[in-house]
Amino acid sequence: MTKRWVHSWLRFILENGRIYLFVLLLVIMGSFVSSEFLTPANLVNLLKAVALLGIVAAGMAFVTYSGHLADLSVPSIIAFSGIMTVASLPLGLVPALVIGTLSGLVVGAMNGLAVGMLGANPILWTLAVSFFMEGFMRFTWSNDQIYPSTDPGTPGSAFVQLYRLDFGPVPLIVVVMLVLFIAAHFLMKHTRLGVETRLVGSSRPAAKASGINVKKVVFLDFLLAAFAASVTGIFLASMNKLGVFYLGDGYAFEGVTAVVLGGVTLEGGEGNMPGVFGGVLVIGLLTNILNYLGMGSFYQKIVTGSVFILVVWLHHCRPHAGGSSDA
Amino acid sequence: MTQNRTRQKTVGSSTARLLLGSLLLVAALLAGCPERKTGREEMTREERLRKSRKAARKVQKMVSTDGQPLVAWGTKQDVPPRPEEPQSLPKTEKGHWWNQEYAGWKTEKVNIPESPADGAWGKEIVLIRAGDHPYWTAYMKGFKRVADAFNMDVTIYNSNWNIVLQAQQTEQAINQRPDMIIFAPVDPTSCTLLLREINRAGVPVIASNTLISNEAMKYVISWTGPDDWGQFRMLARRFADAMDKTGGYAIVRHMPGSSCFFARTYGPITTFKDYGPEMELLAMNTANLKSAQTMELVSAWLTKYGQKLDGLILPGDGFSLTGALEAVQSANREDITIVAAGSSETGLQAVKDGEVLGITYQTAEGDGALACFTAAQWLNGKDLPPVRYLPKEVITQQKVDTYLPAQW
Amino acid sequence: MHKGRITELFRGMDRHRALLMFLGAYLFLSLFAPHFFTFYNTTSLLKASSLNGIVAIGFTLIFILGELDLSVGAVVMLCGMLVPGLQPELGWAGGILCALLAGACIGLVNGLLVAKAGISSFIVTLGMMVILEGVMHIYSGGSSMSVASFGLADWLDRPLLPLLPPRVIITFALVGGASLFLQKTPLGRGFFIVGGDPEMAWRAGLNRDRYLILGFVICSVTAALGGALLAASLSSMTGDAVLATRTLMTVLAAVIIGGTPLTGGKGSVVKSYFAVLLLTTVSNGIGCFGLGFEVQMFANGVILAAVVLYEAYVIYRHNLLKGQRPHLLADLEQEQESNSRGSR
Repeated sequence: MTKRWVHSWLRFILENGRIYLFVLLLVIMGSFVSSEFLTPANLVNLLKAVALLGIVAAGMAFVTYSGHLADLSVPSIIAFSGIMTVASLPLGLVPALVIGTLSGLVVGAMNGLAVGMLGANPILWTLAVSFFMEGFMRFTWSNDQIYPSTDPGTPGSAFVQLYRLDFGPVPLIVVVMLVLFIAAHFLMKHTRLGVETRLVGSSRPAAKASGINVKKVVFLDFLLAAFAASVTGIFLASMNKLGVFYLGDGYAFEGVTAVVLGGVTLEGGEGNMPGVFGGVLVIGLLTNILNYLGMGSFYQKIVTGSVFILVVWLHHCRPHAGGSSDA
Repeated sequence: MTQNRTRQKTVGSSTARLLLGSLLLVAALLAGCPERKTGREEMTREERLRKSRKAARKVQKMVSTDGQPLVAWGTKQDVPPRPEEPQSLPKTEKGHWWNQEYAGWKTEKVNIPESPADGAWGKEIVLIRAGDHPYWTAYMKGFKRVADAFNMDVTIYNSNWNIVLQAQQTEQAINQRPDMIIFAPVDPTSCTLLLREINRAGVPVIASNTLISNEAMKYVISWTGPDDWGQFRMLARRFADAMDKTGGYAIVRHMPGSSCFFARTYGPITTFKDYGPEMELLAMNTANLKSAQTMELVSAWLTKYGQKLDGLILPGDGFSLTGALEAVQSANREDITIVAAGSSETGLQAVKDGEVLGITYQTAEGDGALACFTAAQWLNGKDLPPVRYLPKEVITQQKVDTYLPAQW
Repeated sequence: MHKGRITELFRGMDRHRALLMFLGAYLFLSLFAPHFFTFYNTTSLLKASSLNGIVAIGFTLIFILGELDLSVGAVVMLCGMLVPGLQPELGWAGGILCALLAGACIGLVNGLLVAKAGISSFIVTLGMMVILEGVMHIYSGGSSMSVASFGLADWLDRPLLPLLPPRVIITFALVGGASLFLQKTPLGRGFFIVGGDPEMAWRAGLNRDRYLILGFVICSVTAALGGALLAASLSSMTGDAVLATRTLMTVLAAVIIGGTPLTGGKGSVVKSYFAVLLLTTVSNGIGCFGLGFEVQMFANGVILAAVVLYEAYVIYRHNLLKGQRPHLLADLEQEQESNSRGSR
């Protein structure tokens, strides 16, 4: 009895949360590397460091889940929403946040229209968007960075506190990340949008044939990714107390890395949000451990790249479900 | 099916016609091509020199956004003799870095053109700058002010951190045959051949902002810019004083591939060897100037070294500083001494708030202004030193108000 | 009939769009941009296109196979770094050979991981890109590498014939040779089949794995060659990783603009080269006008977006007509037209 129970649990983990085996492995490694590793303070720091990446990954996962590989315009959305928020601060904190989020959503809508409605290639379209958004931002703000006015009492001073708020021992940014992950998980598993996205990712013709409005689904997926990117942009601008066109650099590839590590395959239709969270955790844990070990950043790159390929490969090998597998 | 074939023939011939037409058009262009009007005013040599000297006096009185003099320069106190084999010395020895630190000082110049010495007024200069960044926006502001004072005709190329593009733009600049090229390199060694090309074409060239290799220094009239090594030695001494010349410190490095990667790391390390031998280097690593990565790195160090870590040296006062401060504040270690390379608004604000001990002063507007002014001086006929540094200063809380409002 | 003719004309133009856009841009800039239309500037343009042009050869091949290679930029830098790095001991020839060998090894690893381990090429090459950047930095110690010997660089850049320094001749030869290889040799043509219709390739007896591995090896070798040539022409290689990202993005955009689709099965090395020339011309021209880099970024984005949308439109039309026979449709239309004319 117990053996079968253990077996079925193992199978459940292997099929759904494989990445957590790595998380566990890394946590064990970490505890050997330093006695301070498992302290709440360190773990909170770790979560804080990857919180922004986590938010981006939560949004981008929808795009990948729907079979559209990745959204390469995420860095420019981050920068754009950040810079628009800072620029709109004179109107008040809440209006600025709204404008910032809306600016990001506008770009997301553009993506959704082109890829969803018109069928453009997602990688190339989002790449083109990142080019011309960068050009647009550089032009509009003359390649300069803009600072919010932080005199006490102004919306600017409240804005820069946004990143630094704490819910007791836990920073706001971590809470936001967790809330967004829970919401995203709910969206993905228990709403129509999530289920339809899964079908679109698994087989687009089949989805169309079963009467799903594929265009709307893809449009909404890109909007979700843009929303997550906007939130990240606002927090990044708050953290660095400025808005600038290169604010989001590096988040495209890092986001895809986290999403893919978490088990959401590039072909689409597979994976889940807890997995993506696991992917984000793996990145955070790995970097933390390597920093502890004092490994130079060049060697860290080699380790990170290799681990990435290895983990994704291991995702690929699946325990044989009884029956034939696709050729 | 016959219809099909005729259609295809039409397609083939229509495309061919298009190609032929465009080729004919290209050939027709051989008739003439637009030339840039020089638009240079005609005036006598004396008049030009008089106007140039007047402009030079005016420029030297100008003040940058932060209230500091726009055009100012310092020099190295004394240049020690070059060791026999710098590379063979250990990295913690000053001598190992001689070639980088004192680039240009003991270099033999090659084929330097003679100055026409007829004044800088109204001359045509080309600026090839390394890329876009708020620092460079301020650089351009300073540059343009001086150029306007001399009524110069300025063309600007932006290499956007791309060496291939810079090579192409160098050739375009040479093609223009300006009176002077001011060259801010993307890379300290890959610019050698480009400067050599400019030199061979007989166009005078001054390098600016980024320290170039000794080999490249042969081909330029002069180099102006921040004394990265000197500044960081100054900063290191102040840092050591604040730490009572003892304790453990860690260095966050700049981006690999830049000269700052070494200057801002080994500058302090080699200074401490003599100035603070009891200080211990606990860790050094790069975070690629990203805020989240710097935060993660410093957090890890704080947890690993705990109270052993007394000081931090940062490569910049923007994203790097923000990330480091976040980590320090989360760990309640505000007692740590922090210094950084400056000087942007974020850094100046941090110094004012007491979060940072000091930042180096690097006047972006002055960087641009000095480059342009040096060019003007050469065109006026003045002799130039091989290297000209921007003024060095460590901004601490007492002095910070004289450096506000920030340039960028 | 007129409508059909216009569509055919557009389709013909689209087939040669890279060349046409390049000529169009060149014409426009020659008329309006100062200093553009000179021998010197055109030579400079051709030289500046050589890195991306050579890398685009291998990249096009990978696209034809229906795969992606994101590590090309990192290969350019790493193998380029080997050239000045090894020059003191092995000379230029030795350094370049080592660079090519390193490229081949990297391509082999990429190919094996994709073909044998079955991992998606996006993943493999993304991971490889990060690894190679680390290796490159370790090799150069975080700095750039250079040598003070300029003989080769001078030779590469001095025109043998008007407009044609050896560097450009080498680029032309490689592009031409690759094009001939792909179109005329059975091995080359096999790439199209393997990429376009894997089942047909299997039926034809082509070993998909071998083609994949060969494709990745060629891609990395061309990237290595591009990097080596760049390093030789500058007698140095920069250590700043931004060159890798820029090369990747530009080559990706160029190959798409040139008309090679991501899905595989068709493509042309020559068209990719024209697209590279187009992008270089645009940036050269923008420099002539003295406009900022933001204009170029914006222009790049707009061109790429236009191309991507057009491709989507083509696929949309294709899907509309799927299963239909356009000739019969056209005959039907013609009949209806003549009927309605007759009835008036």
